Amino acid sequence: MSRTRIHVTVNGEALDTEVPAKRLLSDFIRDDLNLTGTKRGCETGICGACSVLVDGEVRKSCLSLAVQADGHEITTVEGLAQHNELHPLQESFMVHGGLQCGYCTPGFLMAAVEILRHTPKPTEEEVRKGLNGNLCRCTGYQGIVDAILDAAEKIDGH
Amino acid sequence: MRDFEILRPTSLREAIELLSKHGDDACAYAGGTALLLAMRQRLLSPSHVVSLERVPEIRGIGYHSSEGLSIGALSRHADIARSPDVIANYPVLAKMAGGLANPQVRNQGTIGGNLCYADPATDPPGCLVALDAKVELASASGLRTIPLEAFLVDYFETAIQPGEILVRLIIPPLPRESRAFYARHLRTAAEHRPVANISFVVRAATATGIETRLVIGAATPTPQRMSRVEEFLGSRPMSPETALAGADMAAEDLRPISDSRGDGDFRRSIVHALVRRTIVEATFVDGRAA
Repeated sequence: MSRTRIHVTVNGEALDTEVPAKRLLSDFIRDDLNLTGTKRGCETGICGACSVLVDGEVRKSCLSLAVQADGHEITTVEGLAQHNELHPLQESFMVHGGLQCGYCTPGFLMAAVEILRHTPKPTEEEVRKGLNGNLCRCTGYQGIVDAILDAAEKIDGH
Repeated sequence: MRDFEILRPTSLREAIELLSKHGDDACAYAGGTALLLAMRQRLLSPSHVVSLERVPEIRGIGYHSSEGLSIGALSRHADIARSPDVIANYPVLAKMAGGLANPQVRNQGTIGGNLCYADPATDPPGCLVALDAKVELASASGLRTIPLEAFLVDYFETAIQPGEILVRLIIPPLPRESRAFYARHLRTAAEHRPVANISFVVRAATATGIETRLVIGAATPTPQRMSRVEEFLGSRPMSPETALAGADMAAEDLRPISDSRGDGDFRRSIVHALVRRTIVEATFVDGRAA
């Protein structure tokens, strides 16, 4: 089995390491780096619980190989809070009931980061469209949508 | 997944050499969203995976007034959706690319991968066939360009030869007054794959009717061009009756897939509705034929 050297930046930290060719990005993040915030939900690219940012753009890590991350920047849910302060999205999710069991939440947070990056003041429809790669079995989505709309206001400086 | 070796060529020539060398044991790897699923399900078990990520010759999107639009095979759906050249000159393409699948897949999947995988249940092929797209393929013997319609042979089958790589798409310029429409049908909001889609390009008004391209995708193994409907729409003035007759014709001519996602008759009825509604949307403004 071949191993490939990769250089990746994960949540701001540069890493040089070796991975087997067939190591999935999701497994690399969880098992090699011990960042277990990113979840394995369906392992077929449908549920979005494995979503992470690659160079700031949301992707499903179960549909990527770890070697594909070579030379790129990965941000996981653990990278959202800065200096012991929760990201405004994380706070809003708590306040608005954007989570119950919490399993899908990291994936939704990463998708939400992408929505707000492209559209700082999204409409509800734009939020829902941006979440269309993520599934939640608990909340019925309204709390998630409310949380993101609320966070958008906070981030935008209202 | 079975074990494999990953190869990371840094030029088109090197990539072609590697694919030729390993033949049937190799797969090209672009975004990987479809490839990885197929490998995990053991539908594909290459011993060598040739990553195209570092091949510069298959990147880039640009518009030239003579050739038209050139889209590198490694262009992601998100790149196509946001490209100023695409938005300005082929807004229907930007709209289709910006709505397919889901945000994560749009950031990762490539148009080259989509076309080479030739999964029927996707959005791009029908839209691109309606825009008269051609594909440029590179091999050790050089370049060849064929119409996309000829490239897509059957479901999960293309005209690509061993050792060949899809380099770019070329979409010819549209007539200035043309308008294009794209619509698709999903069974539920949670679905990402269409059961049917329609691409309708109104290229020009003629003495007798309108010159159009009408292509149905996703409901068929490869995009199906509705030539009889196009001829019909070119031969008489538009009216609600013409739109309905066109839809009847499309439903008759459709050669649909029948599978667990939708049987043939279901797809036929969806296509009928899509065709009728799209023709009306395209040709009626404020209740009057435009």
